[in-house]
Amino acid sequence: MVRADFDRNLKTLQDDLISLGSMVEKAVTKSLIGLKNRDLQLSRQVVEEDDYIDQQRYQLEEQCIDLIATQQPIAIDLRTLMAVLHIATELERMGDYAEGIAKISIMMGDEPPLKPLIDIPRMAEKATTMLQHSLDALVNRDEAAALEVRNADDEVDDLYEQIYRELLTYMIDDPSTIQRATYLLWVAHDLERIADRATNIAERVIFLVTGRLTGVNVSQY
Amino acid sequence: MRMAAGTEDRERGADLAEAAPIIRANGLSVYYGTKQVLSDVTLDFPSNKVTAIIGPSGCGKSTLLRCFNRMNDLIPNFNMTGQILFDGVDLYGPGVDSTEIRYQVGMVFQRPNPFPKSIFDNVAFGPKINGYEGKLDELVEQSLRRAALWEEVKDRLKSSALALSGGQQQRLCIARALAVHPRVILMDEPCSALDPFATLAIEELMRELSEDYSIIIVTHNMQQAARASDYTAFLMGNEERIGELIEFGETRQITTNPEDERTEAYITGRFG
Ligand SMILES: Nc1ncnc2c1ncn2[C@@H]1O[C@H](COP(=O)(O)OP(=O)(O)OP(=O)(O)O)[C@@H](O)[C@H]1O
Ligand SMILES: [Mg+2]
Repeated sequence: MVRADFDRNLKTLQDDLISLGSMVEKAVTKSLIGLKNRDLQLSRQVVEEDDYIDQQRYQLEEQCIDLIATQQPIAIDLRTLMAVLHIATELERMGDYAEGIAKISIMMGDEPPLKPLIDIPRMAEKATTMLQHSLDALVNRDEAAALEVRNADDEVDDLYEQIYRELLTYMIDDPSTIQRATYLLWVAHDLERIADRATNIAERVIFLVTGRLTGVNVSQY
Repeated sequence: MRMAAGTEDRERGADLAEAAPIIRANGLSVYYGTKQVLSDVTLDFPSNKVTAIIGPSGCGKSTLLRCFNRMNDLIPNFNMTGQILFDGVDLYGPGVDSTEIRYQVGMVFQRPNPFPKSIFDNVAFGPKINGYEGKLDELVEQSLRRAALWEEVKDRLKSSALALSGGQQQRLCIARALAVHPRVILMDEPCSALDPFATLAIEELMRELSEDYSIIIVTHNMQQAARASDYTAFLMGNEERIGELIEFGETRQITTNPEDERTEAYITGRFG
């Protein structure tokens, strides 16, 4: 078997990408726990750890560039490297949204949330599940699983819509809630974006497997 | 065998379907004595395009190429079945003059092989034999220009072609082929003896020439096929080491997303 080194490098690259993915997934989960439990310590930790996620992303990018420059990859190898590059970027941005949620939590300070958090954690759970499934689809080169992730995005969009209306009603009924409602709206928006980016990852997986660049995820928001 | 020009890929190969092919191999099998080296190759080479033939050593690329200008006729035990149409005409049909064919279908080889004559005489050689009646000077200049060599040699047309660099010699051989106004230029690994710079010059030249000529190139360098060709044919020996066409399609498709896993294994260097 020729190109054993290259194959090893590609494998390492994918492993690193998956571990970046689980870092991001943890960041999202922690940002929600911080928010829900009003654990500012945890929220600050999420903000700090985002630097590490950024670093990892750049490291992945550099590895990709090295391999492109030295191996002149084509066909499946080229698609793999392009997919890794894109997915690393998506993950880093998802990390930024988690950081955004953590910062909102910090901004809220001692204030209790406007209402008990029910739909927002549900949204977060769906979004992180989408992330997990998109990465599983990557590891298994599973087009069908990737397509499912795309469909799951609609549910997240629906939840977002619902939360949006609810918070709007609060604000209209009692303008003194505007500040606190806006915090939650931002959080919901960040989660909606995270789900969108999980969809982007799924689309990269479809590209990797089929060579087909499907339409970029068109979100309503 | 899978052809990218099958029904579902018609769109991608739209060019192919529209323009009549300049050369068509139809169920071509080739034997040297009792040994079969190509099996049932069916393939259209589009006009005014660069088509690359790639594949592992010994799979019959050069053999296939030589069928297209009847160079194999010179090999005593050569034998073929099937058909090759050149612009719709059976290349091996009765009344076809193989010498005439070699003017219409020029060939450039792996190692530049200029004659031990002056630069001018190398280019003028074919036309003279052909009894060219126009102005030889003009024809030589025009051919050298087309081969992107004129500026470098215009002041020393009378000096020996053997004093040129490898890359220049190869371009001279291209000029020599062009001087007899061919329709097709066959190139068998034309850059394997050249440095990267001269290689790029030849690749660029192929691109330019494809506006007026159809070019078929055998190359071992996948990156070269990717850079310089519009279409790519992948040949490979079967279990009996007889060459077969595995896949044919637009180079873009072959290099990003080949259909056959054997193509993928070969071009990504994971063959065998
Ligand atoms: N004149 C000949 N007589 C007998 N066998 C031949 C002759 N020329 C070529 N062959 C055989 O035919 C097969 C195909 O040879 P060919 O030169 O066409 O392969 P190729 O794909 O061009 O290989 P390479 O990439 O090494 O140039 C090989 O097995 C070769 O040994
Ligand atoms: Mg050969």
